[in-house]
Amino acid sequence: MEWSVSDDNSRYKVTLEEGEGEVRASSMTKDGSEIPPPRVVVSDAGKLGRLLVESDGNHGFAHVVRFGDEWWVHIDGRTHVLKFHEQGGSGSAASEGSLAAPMPGTILELMVKEGQRVREGQPLMVLEAMKMEHRILAPRAGEVTKVNYEQGDRVDMGSVLVEISE
Amino acid sequence: MNPGWMEGSPTPFSKVLVANRGEIAVRVLRAARESGLAGVALYSDSDESSLHVEVAEEAVHLEGDSLDQTYLNAEAIIEAARECGADAIHPGYGFLSERADFARAVESAGLVWIGPPAEAIETMGDKISARTLMIESGVPVIPGEEIAVEDGADHLGALATSAARVGYPLLLKASAGGGGKGMRAVSEPKSLRSEFEAAAREASAAFGDGTVYIERLLTKAKHVEIQILCDSHGGAVHLNERDCSLQRRFQKVIEEAPSPAINQMTREEMGAAAITAAKAVDYVGAGTVEFLLASNGQFFFLEMNTRIQVEHPVTEMTTGIDLVQKQFEVAAGLMLGLEQHEVRQSGHAIEARIYAEDPNGGFLPSTGTLAMWRPPSGPGIRVDSGNREGDEVTIDFDPMLAKLIVHAPTREAAIRRLDIALSDFVALGVRTNIDFLRNAISHRAFHEGIIDTDFLDETPWEELAGPLPDEAKLVAVTASARRLGLGTAHSGTGEAVDEHSGHPGDPFRTLRRAFP
Repeated sequence: MEWSVSDDNSRYKVTLEEGEGEVRASSMTKDGSEIPPPRVVVSDAGKLGRLLVESDGNHGFAHVVRFGDEWWVHIDGRTHVLKFHEQGGSGSAASEGSLAAPMPGTILELMVKEGQRVREGQPLMVLEAMKMEHRILAPRAGEVTKVNYEQGDRVDMGSVLVEISE
Repeated sequence: MNPGWMEGSPTPFSKVLVANRGEIAVRVLRAARESGLAGVALYSDSDESSLHVEVAEEAVHLEGDSLDQTYLNAEAIIEAARECGADAIHPGYGFLSERADFARAVESAGLVWIGPPAEAIETMGDKISARTLMIESGVPVIPGEEIAVEDGADHLGALATSAARVGYPLLLKASAGGGGKGMRAVSEPKSLRSEFEAAAREASAAFGDGTVYIERLLTKAKHVEIQILCDSHGGAVHLNERDCSLQRRFQKVIEEAPSPAINQMTREEMGAAAITAAKAVDYVGAGTVEFLLASNGQFFFLEMNTRIQVEHPVTEMTTGIDLVQKQFEVAAGLMLGLEQHEVRQSGHAIEARIYAEDPNGGFLPSTGTLAMWRPPSGPGIRVDSGNREGDEVTIDFDPMLAKLIVHAPTREAAIRRLDIALSDFVALGVRTNIDFLRNAISHRAFHEGIIDTDFLDETPWEELAGPLPDEAKLVAVTASARRLGLGTAHSGTGEAVDEHSGHPGDPFRTLRRAFP
């Protein structure tokens, strides 16, 4: 059971201590190394989705919602998304080098073909959503090994659009 | 029954159909109720349970999947008004609000059009005819040369020649564009073709018209606009300016009044120019004349928006005038009953547009369920939104989730109030720009009031990225939340009945159950 925050790859493990409706972290590791556990005490704030968080003597609220393995947290005036990894271990290898659609939309224009080499930041395609055009850029340099859609196709969020090898 | 305030009206009405959706439909429907008018909402399939339908006494369903069949279907909308006995139509902004043929069709159906005359929409809607008329009327326009290009024709040669004369950087604009759509900056000749094609495509997708034209791009300029109100008896006042310089890719992000960049003299000059512009098209109703304020203090006519604007609340907060109520009065043929010297300017107001977008992911639109939606409230805080908790955010419509408007005695106090209100705004389940807005308004340049329209696009990302999160603390809090609330977790995207809310098909889970 590990946690990660947003797109950061660091993995955290935490041991919790419970008592009288309060929970605190008693130990924590970051990428396998012991780090000092943050001095926070969390308790139920008696309202749907709201928690009372005491941090170094300061009290504040946190709002939490869960979607599957994704945990959305609003705390200290900022919103974060954390991922809960049941299995632990590193990210799935299948997703590496592939580019997923960041939103649902229609492919307006394809600018690359299979076998083509691209540089980082090179436009790969134009996706239209909400009446605006968005360029999908190569996340890094490499060779396009697979193009999964054609111009005019509708794609869902998360569909693998293009695969790029090193 | 017509409400009492309409006494003596040459064109009275009692039931307003709002040909729109989302926050502006909610806003207009509430104004109608306040004015003693009945309100009718429209909805497409996907809006069946939307907030604007809930706040209306009556709602009419529009059949069809596409916008053309629903919110852009002039014929069906007029038919809907007839069927339910509405005698006036308010178009909101976007959709059909700036379609002259719709305004005409509404009037020839014997209904009251709550908007400017069709001719005014037509003249101002065509950027080229608007520009020509402004030059004739003595309103300053952006320097440079422009060329009209017809969609479909072989125009690239002519475009390139003209572009070379105007000089780079230049701005390609769809004549029928607006709201950042169909508008592209071109910095060098080699990108002219691709940008032109993209602009033409966007314009025809969004507005059904692919005509594009070019003008010189003024850099380091501020966007300052004047709100005007005109009645059908020749009465016209301006309600001061709004500064909308904080933009991203021509899309307004923050709007405020008064502008930190102009003094009383410029305000009066700009106001007079705006009234001149409005009178040149015999304007009636609420409208906005947009200007670019160059770094040397000169201002130039940009365009006139012949409708209520997204950022109108900023003016309402500082002048105390309800613009939608005024639209009703003017549409009923009544006099404004307001002299220029009676328009006051009280304190400072700022509006922040909350978008469903991911600033850390290139500002791409985001979708999902608004699993938790707790807008802030308090003195001097106003939230206009068409959303509520549990709503689904899709890519079918504009990504604006809400407008957060604050009002305070001074600009500094307003910025502080906005920052706190933004930090109290809980929106979970859909990525939003709320944190980014906090970063933007905390930037030194915004505080000093010296930003221009390129600010967001040109400021290094590190300056707008916000503080790094305290990951260890977040993990400790979230893991504790899991322990406290969802110890026996199922996979979250539930078909099952949510164990806490008890609603079947609840797509999200809320934390907490009776504990200990």
